[in-house]
Amino acid sequence: MPLLDLKGITKDYKLGKIVVRALRGLDLEVEEGEVIAIMGPSGSGKSTLMHIVGALDTPTGGTAFLDGQDLQQLKERQLVTLRGKKVGFVFQTFNLIQTLSAQRNVELPMIFQGIRKGERARRARELLTKVGLADRVKHKPNELSGGERQRVAMARALANDPEIILADEPTGNLDTESGTPVLEMLKRLSVEDGKTVIIVTHDPDAAAIADRIVRLRDGCVCEEVDCV
Amino acid sequence: MFKDFFLLAAQSIMHRRMRSWLTVIGVFIGITAVVALISIGLGLERTITDQVASVFGVDTFIIMNEDTFGPQAHGPGGAEEYALDLSTLRAVEGVKVAAAVRERTGFVQGPPRSDGTPLQGFFPVSGLSPELITEFESFIGELEVQKGGRLFDVGEEAVTVLGSEIAKRLQASVGETVLVVGEGSAELSLTVVGILVPVEEDEESRGGFAAGMNQSQNQDTIYVPYETMDLLWGPAKDVLITVVRVNPGEDVDKVADRAEETLNARGSEISAVTYTDISEVIGTMTSTISAFLAGIAGISLLVGGVGVMNTMFTSVLERTKEIGVMKAVGAKNGHVLTIFLIESGLMGLVGGVVGTLLGLGLSAVASSFIGRFFGVEMAVVASPILIAITLLGSFLLGAFAGLWPARRAAKLPVVDALRYE
Repeated sequence: MPLLDLKGITKDYKLGKIVVRALRGLDLEVEEGEVIAIMGPSGSGKSTLMHIVGALDTPTGGTAFLDGQDLQQLKERQLVTLRGKKVGFVFQTFNLIQTLSAQRNVELPMIFQGIRKGERARRARELLTKVGLADRVKHKPNELSGGERQRVAMARALANDPEIILADEPTGNLDTESGTPVLEMLKRLSVEDGKTVIIVTHDPDAAAIADRIVRLRDGCVCEEVDCV
Repeated sequence: MFKDFFLLAAQSIMHRRMRSWLTVIGVFIGITAVVALISIGLGLERTITDQVASVFGVDTFIIMNEDTFGPQAHGPGGAEEYALDLSTLRAVEGVKVAAAVRERTGFVQGPPRSDGTPLQGFFPVSGLSPELITEFESFIGELEVQKGGRLFDVGEEAVTVLGSEIAKRLQASVGETVLVVGEGSAELSLTVVGILVPVEEDEESRGGFAAGMNQSQNQDTIYVPYETMDLLWGPAKDVLITVVRVNPGEDVDKVADRAEETLNARGSEISAVTYTDISEVIGTMTSTISAFLAGIAGISLLVGGVGVMNTMFTSVLERTKEIGVMKAVGAKNGHVLTIFLIESGLMGLVGGVVGTLLGLGLSAVASSFIGRFFGVEMAVVASPILIAITLLGSFLLGAFAGLWPARRAAKLPVVDALRYE
């Protein structure tokens, strides 16, 4: 059974009186440990797909299974628990909490899971070391470079040891020099730790680390390319 | 987990230091006003009851007309007279000393002048139990007689002490006699045994507490022993006040009840008023006044609360994306709600702490001013209950004001919040 199994997914948005159909019967299967790049022009439904995969939003129609759980059947509270434990997010604009140190930012997802303080701090430092920021734990986001911020965000995404890492344009705000290590890390997560990595991107470099590229157009998968 | 939420909230407040302080100022102004007014009210109450206690002592009660101080009292309007059988009162179990004042206007004739004709006129005649002078000086005030005279003693009847004004107008001096005409054909020649020391104009009044007299009034009165009033007018409804001291170890409230029952059974219409009764009335009065003032000050608390609400709404708006991120990484609606409520409650609490300290300080300063103005030592009261209620209340005020914004934050759809720029 695939980790992620989407069949005939539709998603409608209401903009005033107009209903916009962002996804029109999308099918997608993702196996555990795969790195998938989702590409496509603006308005093709990349972000909407990302939200559904990340349990941030529920589809209007179709069936969506994440790790065997039917997302349609879950209530809001259960969706929160699911994404808290199974999904780690990496955003284009990093989205770190400005008032908190790097370590506290990484601890944040663990706080909501009720993990004890000592355990949290230990794991946060461990993860920051893993992303090469052992000497930056006390720094606030505005004291870090863009690349460093994104690596803190990656450590945060890994806080609750999720099965899926969802990266939305992870290199979109970074230059090549600082973007490359981020992509290398994402690849390593798949190869070394068996995480499933889904990257939504315009960046060909980012797509280059993927096992498979999924192209979207008008709310459907228009092409799937397995990379060698 | 709560501790972590507390830290998150505190960090957010510290991050917006300027705005947080301004909000806190809005809260503490209101708290300061409320705390100061209530504290001053409590201090005033304590001061007055202390003063009453110093006059009364714990073993004394007074008897007044039931219309003046009783369940049917019809408000202020001065003391009303009543009839009293002093010997019955003295026989009540537990009564040690009872002394009374009765007063009426009588026709008085001075000693004959050199041409043989006396000066005469209508003057207030006050019958004082001599015990009032010997036992209850704090009630009647100090009666000071001029050199060569004295006050009357227990058992004397045909004697009088004149106010200095009266002595001047009747041209009477110590040793001479004045004639007082009573009811029907009753009249008595009374020997003047003393004349009161006249008061200086600017001398502070040291008039008796209970009789409501002041010194200049004293000087216009003819004082006779209480029993002499009986001889002139018989028992009549002209008693102003009666003071009773109970035997040592007696419960003053019980004796007062007994006296009231006994006397009223015999046709008097009186109430016996103890220190407890007066304290209660004073307590009710001062707490009504301070509650009223605190209520007005409470309006500023409302404004402070609106300030907190405003700040929290701005905060929610500014942190929409942050809220989205928190939800994306696993925060439940309840978590977000809690964090924001703690944040607003914390601002309320800080306002409460600052306001309480300032309020207590202000009440101490105000008390010393009021005290100096009235020439009394004002008690400064820092009630622990008041402080506890204020601190809890200010936290709740903040939390309550933050409830609406926090709910809005908690209910933000995560996708929209993440997309917010």
